[in-house]
Amino acid sequence: MAAAEASIFSGSGDNSVWTDVSPLLQAACNGLQDGELIHGDNFNLYAAMSALEIMDPKMDSGMIGRYYSVDEAIDGGAAPIPISFDRTVDVQCTIDIMDHLLACEATWHKGHSLAQTVFSCIYLLRPERTTSHALLHSYSSVIRATCKAVISVVSDARTHEEEDLFTMMYGLNLNGEDEKCLSILNAVEETISRQLRACRALSARRKVLEDIEPLQNNPMLEEGYCRAILARLRFRKHFYHVLMCLKRPQGRGLQLARKHVASCISELKAIRELSGQHTACGGQTISEDRTTASGRQPVGFDASLNARLSAPTPPRSIKILSWSEAIEYFLKLLQDLDIISSCSLENSLDCVLHFVVQFQKSQPDLVARAHLQRLLLQDGKLFGREAIFSVISKAATLPEVVKNHDIEKMECVIQLGQLVINLLRILCANSAWQRRKLGKILQDWRVTYIQLELALRSKFGEPSGTPSGENICMNILKQLLVWVEEKVYWIASRFLMLGFELELYSTSEYGMVYWYIYVVSVKLVEKLHHRISISNRVKCRGKKKRVPGKDATRDIQFSPTVLFLQSHICLAEGLTMMLAALRNEKMILESPTPFNSDQERFFQHFELLQKAGIPDHNSYQSFEGSTKNASLSMLAMYNHFKDAQRIAKEVKSSFSDDPERLSELRRIEQVAEHNSVALSLLCRVGDALDSSLKLSFEFSHHPHFATAVVRRS
Amino acid sequence: MDTGVSGGGDEKAEFDPSEITYVSYGGEHHLPLIMNLVDQELSEPYSIFTYRYFVYLWPQLSFLAFHKEKCVGTVVCKMGEHRSTYRGYIAMLVVVKPYRGKGIATELVSRSIRVMQESGCEEVTLEAEVTNKGALALYGRLGFIRAKRLFRYYLNGVDAFRLKLLFPQPYIHPSLLMEAHEDSIRRSSSDTIEVSH
Repeated sequence: MAAAEASIFSGSGDNSVWTDVSPLLQAACNGLQDGELIHGDNFNLYAAMSALEIMDPKMDSGMIGRYYSVDEAIDGGAAPIPISFDRTVDVQCTIDIMDHLLACEATWHKGHSLAQTVFSCIYLLRPERTTSHALLHSYSSVIRATCKAVISVVSDARTHEEEDLFTMMYGLNLNGEDEKCLSILNAVEETISRQLRACRALSARRKVLEDIEPLQNNPMLEEGYCRAILARLRFRKHFYHVLMCLKRPQGRGLQLARKHVASCISELKAIRELSGQHTACGGQTISEDRTTASGRQPVGFDASLNARLSAPTPPRSIKILSWSEAIEYFLKLLQDLDIISSCSLENSLDCVLHFVVQFQKSQPDLVARAHLQRLLLQDGKLFGREAIFSVISKAATLPEVVKNHDIEKMECVIQLGQLVINLLRILCANSAWQRRKLGKILQDWRVTYIQLELALRSKFGEPSGTPSGENICMNILKQLLVWVEEKVYWIASRFLMLGFELELYSTSEYGMVYWYIYVVSVKLVEKLHHRISISNRVKCRGKKKRVPGKDATRDIQFSPTVLFLQSHICLAEGLTMMLAALRNEKMILESPTPFNSDQERFFQHFELLQKAGIPDHNSYQSFEGSTKNASLSMLAMYNHFKDAQRIAKEVKSSFSDDPERLSELRRIEQVAEHNSVALSLLCRVGDALDSSLKLSFEFSHHPHFATAVVRRS
Repeated sequence: MDTGVSGGGDEKAEFDPSEITYVSYGGEHHLPLIMNLVDQELSEPYSIFTYRYFVYLWPQLSFLAFHKEKCVGTVVCKMGEHRSTYRGYIAMLVVVKPYRGKGIATELVSRSIRVMQESGCEEVTLEAEVTNKGALALYGRLGFIRAKRLFRYYLNGVDAFRLKLLFPQPYIHPSLLMEAHEDSIRRSSSDTIEVSH
């Protein structure tokens, strides 16, 4: 290639030298016959998949790029400063850029690379160019500071999920003076506020108090543009404040964060309103794909410029979220951040676990979940305040004396602390990844349990130097063991339930799943009951019994938490038996699979639980044994669904100030009711099921417990 | 990787299932047929290296379905050792739209699975989009379970299921399995993605 041509391309690399290899390729083509292959040992499937065919636009992203580098794009006029010499057009285009950046930011949050989204903006890639344009400069400064803050919280979370792509910056420069960005923004906001006041005074024919140059040329549009820009700037300012408040250690900024969240939400709504978007009236809007409020394409964006920076292999082109989708995304993110900010820092471990599980039901995205994780775990402490051993002591209701005890320094107890921290981290991850990890950690918890048991046994065998001291240590270990077992079953239960949310079970597998849920829940309740009874015994020891004759154990039997779980157990048992009965009586027909049987599928679904010894015996045989004699007539006599209904009703009064538990109990009641009715119908119908009626199982009333639905076919 | 077996739209071909012939991958002359089918029906672009990787190393696992000289379907697979299990992997499965819904895909896959079983595989695996109802139903009928959900596995943000079929094994007590897997508890627990796009 001639030297002149070579110099055109030199701008794209540092020390790269370009050589024409066409003759070499030609020789290679002639050297191989059709079907001949050279196979290198390290050319594996990954290498094959990463290879691309040059000039195939599906794979070669360079084919669709217009410029080879940022500088070339700038020289070509792709990102003019000012955007237009007509100040009105300049303002319009600036608003478009702001909107498109919001759409890019939301797209990035949703899992695409920063380089192809936010940093597809040429103005952001060369920040020094925008200093003369106050609006662009202030806006881009705050965007960079915001991106940096978001990357920081997601990196801190370190969940190693598939979303690792998120934090890859590939050499993009996010450094800048973050503290300054707010003061720059405030200055610009101040100017535009004054411009707004001036134009309002003018239109109201009041005297203009100050001599200020308007934002742009058209007096008719001045107010609209000022308000549109102000809302966008204020949104960015408050959003940055939210991130800074949430960053403050030990949850100190939560209350203030909520205030800024509220401001963000109101500014977003103002932005939407000002753009005249009438979502309610269903009128025909400009293309729904548009990434700006105006519908215009923004100036100054080119995703292909970063192609060499973005990824190890050339990236495929991605679709940027629409502007309205972006607003919806941020509204949801802000709502999630608000919920996180409302988390009480006094919460016990059980409350925290419950909070996280509830929070996850709304399917929060990565940025929200990373914030939750950072709030919960800082410096290895809960909320950055309480040491993990102290948290466990309270959760396991260990006696006060444990504080002065050496037990905290035991290897297995330290490991237990790590397991709890890890558990919290996992529970903040996306549900798909979360479930896999929950299954895997069961063995870690089982190992720690065994180590605690060994420690207890070794204490038994030791000569009793201080008998009372050793007794205390043994009691603490015993209590810890009970608590650890309870947690193991809690994790197993969550693992099983998540399978429904993730749609991992097919209808023919529901029977075995509900059976497993039943078995695990029974154990969970047993351990919970055990723990509560120990803690009550401990409590009552020191207290004078206020009500003479009142039996402590009677209180335990009616513990609302235990009863709450009991209603679930009855439901699970009812479903297991109903599905088994229907199968036994051939009312649901399942064709046998050619390569394996139910036993293999049972093993696959529950392998991780089985490996951790949950439960201890050979479960497929137990499952078969429990269900082979199930029949509809038997179920007509003993109706688990009625039990579930009864218990749910009874225990409702104990949760009168807990709206979540109340609605859960209501859902349990509904599932129980509907299944009970379906069961009676099926008992009456018998063989007629094949011909005129169709049976299905739907999650209409509860995400985990199915309702049998009988319809005319 | 990819399965294109659902839908099919309006135009349906008229044929009797007995008119379909199934052929094991026989050489270079089959490669363009496979590539055209996959290119046509599946959204992911594959380089020629990817095709050759599969059909050269495991020709016995790829099958083509013909209707009167016309290639109407294909399956492309591999097998090998993965973390101490010998397992098969279904990389691509395609049937052209007018021929869908008649069991051709099931027959193609079944043939491949049988070879895998005979070759000593303990299990078979693949990924499928959570929205690909046809594929999920097909593999479900063959005994695959949805072992995992992979968050945003595909570039367009869609989740995938990892589907797995376990062949019947001689019975091993779970506690023995626990010992055998003690090492893997200690090792890094991040999952390897079989194929990355």
